[in-house]
Amino acid sequence: MRRWASLPGEVKFLISVGVLFLVLFVANSTLNRYVLHVITLIGIYSIATTSLNLTNGYTGLFSLGHAGFMAVGAYVTTLLTFPVRLRIAYNLPLLPPFLGGPDYHWPFLPALIAGGLVAAVAALLVGAPVLRLRGHYLSVASLGFMVIIATLAKGLKGLTRGAAGIQAIPHYTNIWWVYAWLVVTIYVIWRLLNSSYGRAMLAIRESETAAQSQGIHPMRYKLLSFVIGAFFAGIAGGLYAHFARSIRPYEFSFSMTFLIVIMLIIGGAGTLLGPVVGTAIVVALKYVLKPVEEGLGVYGLVEIVYALMLIGVMLWRPEGIVGGVNPLKFLFPKKGGKRNAGVSHGEAHGP
Amino acid sequence: MFAGTYVAQQILNGVVLGSMYALLALGMTVVYGILHLINFAHGALVTAGAFTFFGIYMVLGWPFSLALAATLLVGGVLGYLLDLVGYRKLRGGPEVALLITSLGIYILLENLIKLLATPQPYAFRPPAFLGQLQNVGGVTFRTVDVFIVVVSVLIMIAFALFVKRTKLGIAMRATAESVEAAKLVGINVNQVVAMAFMLGSAVAAITGFMWGAKYGQIAYDMGFMAGVKAFVAIVIGGIGSIPGAMIGGFILGLVETLAVGFLPPGFAEYRDAIVFTLLILVLLLKPTGIMGRKEAV
Amino acid sequence: MLEVEHIHVYYGVIPALLDVSLSVDEGQIVALVGANGAGKSTTLKTIAGVIRPREGQIRFQDQDITRLGADRRVRLGIALVPEGRQIFSTLSVKENLVLGAYHRRDQEVKKDLEWVYNLFPILRERMHQVAGTMSGGEQQMLAFGRALMSRPKLLLLDEPSLGLAPLVVRDIYEVIQKIREAGITIFLVEQNVNMAMRVADYMYVMEAGQLKMEGVPQEVMRDEDIKQAYLGG
Repeated sequence: MRRWASLPGEVKFLISVGVLFLVLFVANSTLNRYVLHVITLIGIYSIATTSLNLTNGYTGLFSLGHAGFMAVGAYVTTLLTFPVRLRIAYNLPLLPPFLGGPDYHWPFLPALIAGGLVAAVAALLVGAPVLRLRGHYLSVASLGFMVIIATLAKGLKGLTRGAAGIQAIPHYTNIWWVYAWLVVTIYVIWRLLNSSYGRAMLAIRESETAAQSQGIHPMRYKLLSFVIGAFFAGIAGGLYAHFARSIRPYEFSFSMTFLIVIMLIIGGAGTLLGPVVGTAIVVALKYVLKPVEEGLGVYGLVEIVYALMLIGVMLWRPEGIVGGVNPLKFLFPKKGGKRNAGVSHGEAHGP
Repeated sequence: MFAGTYVAQQILNGVVLGSMYALLALGMTVVYGILHLINFAHGALVTAGAFTFFGIYMVLGWPFSLALAATLLVGGVLGYLLDLVGYRKLRGGPEVALLITSLGIYILLENLIKLLATPQPYAFRPPAFLGQLQNVGGVTFRTVDVFIVVVSVLIMIAFALFVKRTKLGIAMRATAESVEAAKLVGINVNQVVAMAFMLGSAVAAITGFMWGAKYGQIAYDMGFMAGVKAFVAIVIGGIGSIPGAMIGGFILGLVETLAVGFLPPGFAEYRDAIVFTLLILVLLLKPTGIMGRKEAV
Repeated sequence: MLEVEHIHVYYGVIPALLDVSLSVDEGQIVALVGANGAGKSTTLKTIAGVIRPREGQIRFQDQDITRLGADRRVRLGIALVPEGRQIFSTLSVKENLVLGAYHRRDQEVKKDLEWVYNLFPILRERMHQVAGTMSGGEQQMLAFGRALMSRPKLLLLDEPSLGLAPLVVRDIYEVIQKIREAGITIFLVEQNVNMAMRVADYMYVMEAGQLKMEGVPQEVMRDEDIKQAYLGG
């Protein structure tokens, strides 16, 4: 055990990744399609949750708009990869010349990345005004933006087919794509955290005024974490679209945002693996409970269990299942935080 | 299309909607003022109120006034329980923790209602006298609209008197300003907070009845947007101000109705987006709202 | 009446009070003096229940109140006039005063209100004014009056003269005398040692969170070091 701990981080990472893919390989060859389906879904949501962790858990910006970025990624990727002959059948636009022309559709990887980038740009635009706000103002404003994005997706019928959504999306997503991207996401966030950027983000989370007095420009770092988080959310959205093969605007609304938030909090915000653990538990639980729900006719059972878990975690173990290694003094301090402004903004009465 | 009666009609609708938002905002700000908690669960109380009335009046067949009283009671009790079980432990901690918990409580309540009542919407048939159509100068409305506005105004007046004249009401205002100073004069903060929750929740419940009566239909998810929009109303009117919350509610109702009424038809589905755009504009341009006091945004 | 026994108070990991013990007898005026930052306010706040000690005990009228919250202590008869006044700035003067009697169940609130108005005539003048618009001195008197409205047995005064003009300070100390005559025990902390000395029956001197000296004011002031630090120069 000691020898493991003393290995340099990079090596540990590579070995873990190797083990992961070995396990996946075995799983892929032996497990049935249904289980693989679930595992892939866990991977997709893990990307979303991990990316949210960067913004919420590590930088302390409690954004409730993440589903909006997933929507952007999903739609952009889909509109790029959709096969040409089907576009005409489904009333979807053909690609303009600078994107390849009417006879073209993009291969998966570039389309995914494009989706992520557009989501990142959206985050930049949304973040500039919204990230100036604090605490729950930020939350509600980001929620608002998500509603706006969802409404646009419904409204811009020529582009998105409106509320009907897009179906028959090519099934490009498989377990390798998903977990490869998950590894990339975790790697990027890990490296980011261990850099000066990461330290700045943590400083901002603890206390924005203190960070400012050390010469850190909060806005720059908040935007960085928000944008990177959005990029990977866009990736998750794109992966999701080509997995579920159908997307509708209402799917990327409150329910999805809450789902991701629940996964994050239960697993443990502010830890690297917490989001993945939380995601796995929540998704697995759904598949276990859904048959019960339908069998007994108790609709809403799954959400009730989720809600109870969330409340339970908040009341008794706010660091989440994995948490506790890095105590989250910002999001969940021990009792005794100052009443009048919440812990990290204790001294601050400025934006 | 922009004829006088059309405008008047839209304004009337806006006032009715605004009354309901104002009530919701009032109920929410009473708690927010003291705890700095955006109670997402507030929306669930709207739904609970609507279903309670439905159950008591339409299913059990009890008289109208009794059903209303029961609705208020159920709202109050639920509010008290929420405070006791969900929020009390987290007081004094970061606001975000309370927000997350309130989200969890909302999801719990919404799905409990869904479970007990099935996911299908229910037709809501209030007493016949409320459904009567009236026509004044070309503007049509039903008695229920008058009922809503009148009752809302009465509740708001009653509330204003409560916080101005009664010991408990003044104590609430004091606690909202400073919990610590309140303790120094011997105010039992737990008691005051519980009262705030009960009052706010009872008002939310009765608003649920109004909502069902106006729109003729209730469903397990009817409360969510109402709850969030109540917060928007509070921001517009000014955080920490009770009159501000009510003003914000009316403004929101009017803006939403007028926007939908006067923009080209395709924009009707943008009503929620319009509300949130308004929120974001206010947060960016005048974060303290119309009557706002100093609270860092 | 009040016994503070070996209390230790920490702000996080920083010690604020170390092994502080003092007592106040009924009917006395006791003063705690010391330089800025010595820990005087912390002591008062701990007695009032705003801060909890990590160690030690506080007894009021033979009852252990160490674990009681501030609002419970008010109901037992301890009232604090805090540094920084902490009045309700959005409420009127009258509402502030009435709130001072919040926990009382008796019928004498009106009488006490009259009494407070007589002690502080300016408050009667400004009865309906919003408290936040008054001057610092007036707010101080309001905080004082509000504490009196709870009919305390023990009144804790945190720096009653701080930031006030000398004439106003003199008025305040006259009021302190009158209150003592009404039978209220007073424990006050002051940087202004001169004024404190004139009213106190007993004095404690605090430095860096610890008690350096105690005694009858005349004796304490005879000590050369004390004279230097607080009266000399």
